[in-house]
Amino acid sequence: MSKILIIDDDVDLVAVEKAVLQREGYKVVIAGNGEEGLSQARKEKPDLIILDIVMPVMDGYLFADQFNKDASISKIPVVALTSYVESPLDQPVPFEVVEYVSKPIKPKDLVVLVNKYLKKT
Amino acid sequence: MSNKEPVAGYIPELKALKARLNVFVKMRWLVVLGIVAVAMAAKYLFNISFSIYPVFVICLFLLAYNLWMFMWNRRLAQDDTELVIKRAQASGYIQVLLDLAVLTVLLHFTGGITNPFVFVYVIHTTAASILLTKRRAYELTTIAVAMAALLAFLEISGIIGHVNLVGFVPVTLYHQANFVWSVIVTLAVLTYTSTYITTAVAGELRLQHLKMDLLRDQLLKEDELELQRISAEVTRLKDEKTSFIRLLNVVTHDLQAPLVAVQSCISYVLDGYAGEVVEEQKSWLQRGSRRIDSLLLLITDLLDIPRIELGQLKPEMAELSLNDVITNSLAGLDILAEKKGLKFLVELPVKSPVIFGSSRRLQQVVTNLTNNAINYTENGEIKLVLSETDDDVRFEVIDTGIGVPPKDIPRLFDEFYRGSNVESKGSGLGLSIARRIITAHGGKIWAESPVPETGRGSKFVFIIPKNQNK
Repeated sequence: MSKILIIDDDVDLVAVEKAVLQREGYKVVIAGNGEEGLSQARKEKPDLIILDIVMPVMDGYLFADQFNKDASISKIPVVALTSYVESPLDQPVPFEVVEYVSKPIKPKDLVVLVNKYLKKT
Repeated sequence: MSNKEPVAGYIPELKALKARLNVFVKMRWLVVLGIVAVAMAAKYLFNISFSIYPVFVICLFLLAYNLWMFMWNRRLAQDDTELVIKRAQASGYIQVLLDLAVLTVLLHFTGGITNPFVFVYVIHTTAASILLTKRRAYELTTIAVAMAALLAFLEISGIIGHVNLVGFVPVTLYHQANFVWSVIVTLAVLTYTSTYITTAVAGELRLQHLKMDLLRDQLLKEDELELQRISAEVTRLKDEKTSFIRLLNVVTHDLQAPLVAVQSCISYVLDGYAGEVVEEQKSWLQRGSRRIDSLLLLITDLLDIPRIELGQLKPEMAELSLNDVITNSLAGLDILAEKKGLKFLVELPVKSPVIFGSSRRLQQVVTNLTNNAINYTENGEIKLVLSETDDDVRFEVIDTGIGVPPKDIPRLFDEFYRGSNVESKGSGLGLSIARRIITAHGGKIWAESPVPETGRGSKFVFIIPKNQNK
């Protein structure tokens, strides 16, 4: 079973995404900010990370800095979800494997996006 | 202050002083020629009897010492230290003193004070008055008169010999006390008067100079203060702008985040994840969902306006290929047009025009114009044309739709303005944002309706100069 880590501070959004992805048969792990996200990524070794850019404590940019430095997790593909109109193109977050998707994303589109990176097991 | 510091405030005075010193050196070369000429003429033309050799020796000495002064002046010219004025004045003082001595010795060998050239002392004291301070000038004037008087005294009392200018003045003239006294007194009157007049004028000039210098320094200082004030103001405005943009970004995010969450929850239900949804439920949820979509769009658009106005496009600008911009803008739009049964034509130049601009923002404009054309055209075609001239690039969206009533055209690019013949769609800000984006690129945007070539539909055009202010 593939594992997905969602890093987002919006609990309602996370609830929707988690419910959708669990129904699709993915194991979902959750982190409320970049810092938690880093420790979860190291602990859980997810197959895909869905990342919000604007978050308290540690935002997507700071997360990217730490993430890229850690060879044990830096190869994990990242999907950056953002409602922050300026972020993706002004200052691309420097991940090796990254895709930008602007919020809101429809559940069906989320599934298509995730399936693109993960083969269901 | 160290000796190496340049004396900024005194440069004009210093320049004048240096120039004057150079004038005296030049004059001295001429004086040597003059002395030789006059002496030779006196001796050989007017047959006045005196020994000419001492005159030549004195001239040689004068030449040698003038050469020295010449070198000294050149050194002074390269001197940038604070002491340079003092040095120049010292040089002037020594020059006048030496000149007085040379004149006195020369007079001694050419008839003492019976030589009418005795009044040449006046030239020396005038020179001193121009070059030096008042005190020094009077000092040298007194020395000049004293030297003449001393010369007369030494010669008359027989302490040193007297050269009689036989053939020019009577030999007895030297022993006439009233003659000697009148020469000395006249010389004193002449020299002191000249010194008085010259120092008064020179002092006045020096004062003016000083005032000008002070005024200039003051102006420079005021300019500098004004410049500092302006630069502080600019920094403050920049800081304000930066924090305002940051605020806008936070506001945008915080306004949109809850809507995004609501939208996701609704979508979750609509997409059937929470169980089957009957048609009626679905249609109500869709109504709500649509309103949230338009609110999200309105927030983005509304906050886009100050972003563009505050020049946030500038950092995004780069060399870009317009063919690429247009191709990237059309993703999905061609399909939308085809769904409505519209013909969708795109005419791009073979070689893409390149301009300096924000790729993302120009895509936004192209998408907006094309989207409008599709929305307001029921049948016919949508044609996009990109072309370029030597000076600018031109993009047109031509449709066969309902067009724009003439009275609406002037206000079409205003905020929230809608054509009187269209239903409300979008945020009502699309065209006003497009106008701002094109303006930020130094370009112009306008609408024509009906299209002059076809007599129907509408045409939206923007042009952007290729050489805008970067």
